[in-house]
Amino acid sequence: MAKPEIAAEGRQQARTRLPGLWQALPWAVIVAAFIAVPAAGSAYAVQLATDILVASALAYGWNLISGFTGYLSFGQVAFYGIGAYATALLVSNTPVPWYAAVCIGGLLATLLAVILGPILLRVRGILFALGMLGLGRILMVLFSDWDYAGGGNGMTLQAVLDPTAIYIGAGLLAAASFAINLWFARSGFGLDAMGIREDEAAAAAVGVPTTRVKVIAFALSAVLAGLAGGLVAWNRSYIDPPSMFDPTIDLQTVVFVLFGGMGTVWGPFIGALILTIAGEQLLVALPNLELALYGLLVIVIVRALPGGLVSLANRWGWLMRPIVLAPRQLPAGEPPPPRAAPGRLGSAEPPAPVLAVDGLGVRFGGLVAVDGVSFAIAPGETIAIIGANGAGKTTLFNAITGFVPASGGEIRLHGRPVTRLPSHRRAQLGMARTFQIPRLMRPMTVWENVLAAARHGGQAHRAVAHAVWVVRTVGLAEMWLVPVGRLTPGQQRLLEFARVLALNPDLVLLDEVMAGMTKDEQEDVRAVIRRLGGYGVGAVAMVEHVIPAIADLADRMVVLDFGRKIAEDTPDRVLHDPEVIRAYLGEPPP
Amino acid sequence: MLLALQLLCDGVLLGGTYVLIAQSLNLIFGVMGVVNLAHGSFIVLAGLFTVWFAAHAAINPLLAIPIAFVVLFGVGALLQPVLLEPLMGLGAQQAELLSLMLTFGLDYVLIELGLQVFGSSYVSLPYLQSTWSVAGLTISKSLLVGSAFAAALALLLSFWLNHTGFGKTLLAASQSEVGAVSIGINVRLVRLVAFAIGVGLAGAAGVLLILVEPMAAETADDFTILGFVLIALGGLGDYRGVAIASVLLGIAQSAVGFAIGGDAESVLPFVLLILFMALWPQRFRRAA
Repeated sequence: MAKPEIAAEGRQQARTRLPGLWQALPWAVIVAAFIAVPAAGSAYAVQLATDILVASALAYGWNLISGFTGYLSFGQVAFYGIGAYATALLVSNTPVPWYAAVCIGGLLATLLAVILGPILLRVRGILFALGMLGLGRILMVLFSDWDYAGGGNGMTLQAVLDPTAIYIGAGLLAAASFAINLWFARSGFGLDAMGIREDEAAAAAVGVPTTRVKVIAFALSAVLAGLAGGLVAWNRSYIDPPSMFDPTIDLQTVVFVLFGGMGTVWGPFIGALILTIAGEQLLVALPNLELALYGLLVIVIVRALPGGLVSLANRWGWLMRPIVLAPRQLPAGEPPPPRAAPGRLGSAEPPAPVLAVDGLGVRFGGLVAVDGVSFAIAPGETIAIIGANGAGKTTLFNAITGFVPASGGEIRLHGRPVTRLPSHRRAQLGMARTFQIPRLMRPMTVWENVLAAARHGGQAHRAVAHAVWVVRTVGLAEMWLVPVGRLTPGQQRLLEFARVLALNPDLVLLDEVMAGMTKDEQEDVRAVIRRLGGYGVGAVAMVEHVIPAIADLADRMVVLDFGRKIAEDTPDRVLHDPEVIRAYLGEPPP
Repeated sequence: MLLALQLLCDGVLLGGTYVLIAQSLNLIFGVMGVVNLAHGSFIVLAGLFTVWFAAHAAINPLLAIPIAFVVLFGVGALLQPVLLEPLMGLGAQQAELLSLMLTFGLDYVLIELGLQVFGSSYVSLPYLQSTWSVAGLTISKSLLVGSAFAAALALLLSFWLNHTGFGKTLLAASQSEVGAVSIGINVRLVRLVAFAIGVGLAGAAGVLLILVEPMAAETADDFTILGFVLIALGGLGDYRGVAIASVLLGIAQSAVGFAIGGDAESVLPFVLLILFMALWPQRFRRAA
């Protein structure tokens, strides 16, 4: 709901409605206004325009981490204040010119973000939000106690004020912040960030290096806030801790982005423009009610129009989000080149198993969910893992793919130990999985869901071409620009397979893909599983309850009971094994 | 030695006053899973109200406890269905994101309300300012009374949750909404009552806190963070753990305050929060 509404036809609409000149029109207006303000306007107008530009930069910075990446930051002031203080200290104590001081301030803010990011960005939601709120508080207290920086009295800068120069600096900053947001909206990197926003675990499952992407987004948001703080410090020529670490700056930033549209390219600028001007007027009419008005506005927007003004514009086909890296039309697909089977050519040794699990254990506190399970899957094999509810099948999958840590044992992919690798690395190395309930980026298109995976798998160097081939191969070409939320459950299942193929994996792990399906749907899925080998997949492991539907697909079956392997054999023999029957049906009556 | 005992005693009593902040938020967040960034502003509004009440009514300021509880219970009961309940059907992640932003906005509306009605300066309550001397230890009466009342109310809440029909219903609904609905529990009503009681108890906590430390409208977020830190350390929905965490934080603050200074004492919760995120981030996940 907070995400922009994305119409499936977005790209085409944008093209037909705004060709050539029309697309350039808003730019012409903005550039003309930017030049006209200092040329024709009063000093007040220049200051107002500077305020708008600085507010946009803050808003765009917040949009990167909170709008695109989904981590709500209520502490951008930490970076803003660092930028301001660094600028003030440098200008006062060194011969560094103000613009260089501002840039150094931005770099220091980035440094703080890079150091703290890996800690703060571990858990999204309330914990990150509070961590940032607390960071702002800690810095405010630190600077109040730091006498060299003026302590609680603040610092006065010996500024040689040149409003036009500051205005141009603010203009450059706002333009750069816009460009970074544009890059987020249209690039594969931005797609990674949006994947994290929609479902972080699913993003990791398709190989997105989640920590790196989050820290980069955080650092970029910090540099924009730091530069904004530096500019404001120079502009005001007086700073103190309460004004530079003022939490209401965050409130303002949140309001601006929400009002314009979170996670959109134009939203932050539209929000900053309208609300800065309206704010000036309102504050004259209603002095001292700023906090309440902004707070109320946040509440109203979240309840009434969570997509902001941009989502309104989208209803008329304006300001549509372009589909990331989508070709103009879906070209004919080309299959990936066949992979060289590792260890097979020119070697007398038997091929290493695709997957070897050796004594794998998983514990949750005192509960042993998987207990010393060992098995291997040879190239070309399909195995099924069965067992009663709670036998540990999904936990076994989660441990193999790195979603839960193994407490013992080893996992090797093509002989390479992967037990300690994060899940995105395992995906990049050729391990693809599905989830019991499809976990897709629902507001985004089929194309983007496939491309997000293609960018990190074995065909990452030709991701777009590979994604085209996958979309065509699984039969989703008709709806490649349709948002996932509009697909039928069967189509969503198909898209999960598409995402698996997009990784160009060696090993595919399917978690109950046939649960709750009709016989016909099961047949479709069975056909896809049979074809996996032809698409370059080396081996398949399935967890399944629908035994009849997999008995003829599997070469072997592994049976789990209370976390232990109790049988491993051909389906025919396993299904007649008395111990397996007992595990499923219980003891026969005496 | 006596100094250490004195610090320990101060810390335990300070922590005692935190218990109610933590438990009231624990009911809203730990048990019901609603993120409430405005929690601290309810506390501060109640604290500022108490000072006004004590100045204008010639009766015992502790009578502000039931008043603050009832008024804020009503406020919570009005706000929850209008603001938070509609977000419940959106899926856990989306609901959390939107309620975070929504209560962030609400926080500032309430802070502004506090500023407009009670002013922006720090205020404190001139009540029970004397101390007792027991075996060489100095015990502040206000700390003792605040701590005792907070602990009693927290115990009452815990008893209500675990030993009354409605409390058990509430715990059941927090375990599984689908399960609760299917056995005929009115989950909407349960969520409304839980939020209202949580906010009401935040009011009671505010009345008790103003006995022991000065407050200003702008300090609202400090109490919000304090509450979340205590829940994080003690464990979500874990009443005993949170009570222990409150007392431990009180002791740590009194020791840090003595060894380093007041500013270090006041930022300690924030530092602990970031340390906590570095060390045990998974602990804060709500059990599914």
